[in-house]
Amino acid sequence: MSGRAIVVTSGKGGVGKTTATANLGLGLAKCDYKVALMDADIGLRNLDIIMGLENRIVYHVVDVVRGRCQLRQALVKDKRFPHLALLPASQVDQKESITPEQMKDLTTQLKEDFDFVLIDCPAGIEQGFRNAVAGADEAIVITTPDVSPVRDADRVIGLLQNALGEPQLIINRMSTDMVKRGDMLNQQDVLDILAVRLLGIVPEDEEVVIAGNRGSPVVLNENSRSGKAYERIVRRILGEEVPIPELNGHGSIMHRLGKLLFGR
Amino acid sequence: MSWGTLVQRFFGTKGSKDEAKGRLQVVLAYDRLGLSFEQMEALRKDIMEAIGRHVSIDADRVKIDFLHQQNPAEMVINAPVRRARPPADEPKQSLD
Repeated sequence: MSGRAIVVTSGKGGVGKTTATANLGLGLAKCDYKVALMDADIGLRNLDIIMGLENRIVYHVVDVVRGRCQLRQALVKDKRFPHLALLPASQVDQKESITPEQMKDLTTQLKEDFDFVLIDCPAGIEQGFRNAVAGADEAIVITTPDVSPVRDADRVIGLLQNALGEPQLIINRMSTDMVKRGDMLNQQDVLDILAVRLLGIVPEDEEVVIAGNRGSPVVLNENSRSGKAYERIVRRILGEEVPIPELNGHGSIMHRLGKLLFGR
Repeated sequence: MSWGTLVQRFFGTKGSKDEAKGRLQVVLAYDRLGLSFEQMEALRKDIMEAIGRHVSIDADRVKIDFLHQQNPAEMVINAPVRRARPPADEPKQSLD
């Protein structure tokens, strides 16, 4: 078996790479696929805590490449889905502790046992980024509709095009209200600027913070808007045609009148 | 809610996103080519001089854009032309 290795990246930090990796991984596992999540953010690991698996780590990726343990010993199985596993990053080592070749080798090994290998990339475009991209077959770029993440996304897209071909885009934390007011770049604006294929839009959602607090990502919550958005993205990754609901910036005049009179 | 916001909400006047989009498009045009603002200005000056030697152009309305939809990127120069320079004109005459 050879699975698909997908790197989740952004350039800018704090736009939701780790959250997206966790949700896409759990979403794919919910559809009965075998999934390995790889935290490539050595020195600043976070995928474990977002997934609620932080207390179960014994070995990490640097232990594997140094030969201190076998790859399967370092994989943390998720009790919610036995076919979902996390390969944690090291919290004490440097990005340079692993080479791109070693990352490629690890990904190749994981692809033999898993349908999907999702790689959570660190922020930036230095060694950590090069490592995360080395073993990937495809890339997903995350941005929020703000000027600096979009600018950084453009830079990363340029770098990925040379290494992996056309990446796909997720726009995270879109606020319907701000888009309607004309105070936030809408889906079309971002696509005009970045000119890549849109994989999905995740709305701004307080549930993401609560999910982080609990170590239980939103895709596991039936009532969360962002969780539903991640479910749709998962189906698109699996090749299904799922329409992307548009957050439209132009309300009708009646809508505006209603908003004027009743606030919402 | 201020009156300004109320009026803006009703008439659907432009919010700040158009400014964001415009600024991003300019900065990314430079980023993608690895051009600095100074280099861009020098390019602009040279292009206007070259065109100005042959036709009279409206210097304030010359627009230089980079279209990145195709690879390699395309440079589009939009220069409103007033008239051709008379043949007697010195080639090095300055711009209007």
